Amino acid sequence: MSILTFKNVSKTYDKMTHALADVSFSVDEGEFVSVIGPSGSGKSTLLRCVNRLVDATRGEIFFDGHDIIRAGKKEIRQIRKKIGMIFQHYNLVDRLSVIENVLHGRLGHKSTISGAMGFYSEREKESAFQILSKLGLTEQAYKRCDELSGGQKQRVGIARSLMQAPRLILCDEPIASLDPSSSKVIMDHLSLINKNMKITCIFNLHQVDVAMKYSMRIIGITSGRIVYDGPPDRLAESKIHEIYQSNEGELITDVR
Amino acid sequence: MDKLVIAEGAPISLDLHKYMRKSRGGKIKTAAMSKSGLAVNLTVLVLLGLTAYGFFTFDYKNINIAEAVSSTIGNAKVLFGQPRLRYNTFPGAMNALLATFSLGALSTIFGALIAFFGALLCAKNIANPITANIIKSFVALVRAVPTILWVLIFTVAAGLGSVAAVAGLTFHSAGYLIKAYAESIEEMDDGAIEALKATGASFWQIVFQAVVPSSMSHMTAWTFLRLEINFTNAIAIGAAAGAGGIGFDLYMAGSHYFDLQELGFITYIVVAAVILLEVAATRIKARIR
Ligand SMILES: Nc1ncnc2c1ncn2[C@@H]1O[C@H](COP(=O)(O)OP(=O)(O)O)[C@@H](O)[C@H]1O
Ligand SMILES: [Mg+2]
Repeated sequence: MSILTFKNVSKTYDKMTHALADVSFSVDEGEFVSVIGPSGSGKSTLLRCVNRLVDATRGEIFFDGHDIIRAGKKEIRQIRKKIGMIFQHYNLVDRLSVIENVLHGRLGHKSTISGAMGFYSEREKESAFQILSKLGLTEQAYKRCDELSGGQKQRVGIARSLMQAPRLILCDEPIASLDPSSSKVIMDHLSLINKNMKITCIFNLHQVDVAMKYSMRIIGITSGRIVYDGPPDRLAESKIHEIYQSNEGELITDVR
Repeated sequence: MDKLVIAEGAPISLDLHKYMRKSRGGKIKTAAMSKSGLAVNLTVLVLLGLTAYGFFTFDYKNINIAEAVSSTIGNAKVLFGQPRLRYNTFPGAMNALLATFSLGALSTIFGALIAFFGALLCAKNIANPITANIIKSFVALVRAVPTILWVLIFTVAAGLGSVAAVAGLTFHSAGYLIKAYAESIEEMDDGAIEALKATGASFWQIVFQAVVPSSMSHMTAWTFLRLEINFTNAIAIGAAAGAGGIGFDLYMAGSHYFDLQELGFITYIVVAAVILLEVAATRIKARIR
């Protein structure tokens, strides 16, 4: 069952930058997909088209029965509620506590007033703590987010997206600002979430080796076009060089 | 590569010199190139010119400079050396001070409320760019007219008194704070706004859950600064628009009774009040971090 479908999607910024060109693919429920490509190739744009943080210029996008491109304001909120998102720079509200940031995942489910005032039910607060404990953050619950390390912040980001009870999680370079050991912790958590909670995950990654290790499917894009779509074990060295438009020996992954 | 000798000033290869920008004295420049340097120089020159022009065009009325200076010093001695009250009682002066402070506080609170919503409509990172520009230009116009003038404009409708004073002070405060608040909001991390949007949060939820917590400390600092400005403005307006308070007493002592000692006492009270306000503001700002 496919949960997300792109049909000939293009995105042009300012009438001149072609960030996505005729992109088509579909993702099945429960998949763990990595999108790789050089910076500026359109990875972030692709993810943001899914939850309409960016409006696609042409084409069609379907998610869980919604026509994303034609959705009105109200429907967009309904769609966003079902899609968690994790960012490279965590994008937490630094001056609020960890638990407040996690509870932000509920905003889409609440009335404007109770959400704006930060009135959450006991049930919501309990489940926030439950999620925090799964991510090993219970001791940090009342700390302000600017007191946390990068790895902890990203776990708060994951907790916030889980709080949404999402069908799909979009991750835009979730480990690009982290050291190798925190990166592993984050990738392991996301991998477990995918396996145990059956949440579909789409990743933007620029570490090819990480993509190969964790995902069941890799989409390679270059200048806004898909040049590879398949399992990691069929992604040949030469294809990687095509994606990154580089020559033998120029990539850091070539250094062995 | 050769050893890099910095201390001994060993000659470096000549072709590096073509990348260097030199000052007129031949020294190597390090600052980024900008047009602002020229603008600053020009501004200073123009200001110097205007100052000189001012001195030449004053009406000096044959004042004897030496005599003027010595009698000014004498006045200052009486003013600051022998303060005391005659026409006012001390509790009366305190009451007047409170009235002036209330004038300043009230107009700051009204101004801050208006400015909060105004700033939401014109901060680049959350507002629609067209409304933002319209409001920003209108607000710049409001700010261009001095506070006192706004008060006098409102006296046309409300008559001389505290209503016109509060209205005028509020108007200018709102204009000032809209700009200050909008800049505080623009400074925040846009990532947090994007993240809340992505959860399906509505505009007002984003405002109160991300924008307010992130820019609260800046906004508070601006509000206190404006409170100080409004307090001192309220003193001036007390006299100019008949709004009462310590400013009116000051005006009476100075221009009506010509009582330097009373003037000195009131000045001390005002200075003490401003210092107190400053200390309180610093403490509160330190709490909100
Ligand atoms: N908001 C924007 N306005 C204009 N151009 C943009 C904007 N966002 C991205 N772009 C351009 O679109 C292209 C793709 O960007 P992006 O999706 O961020 O790539 P990636 O995430 O792979 O680095 C780049 O050329 C980038 O400069
Ligand atoms: Mg990107």
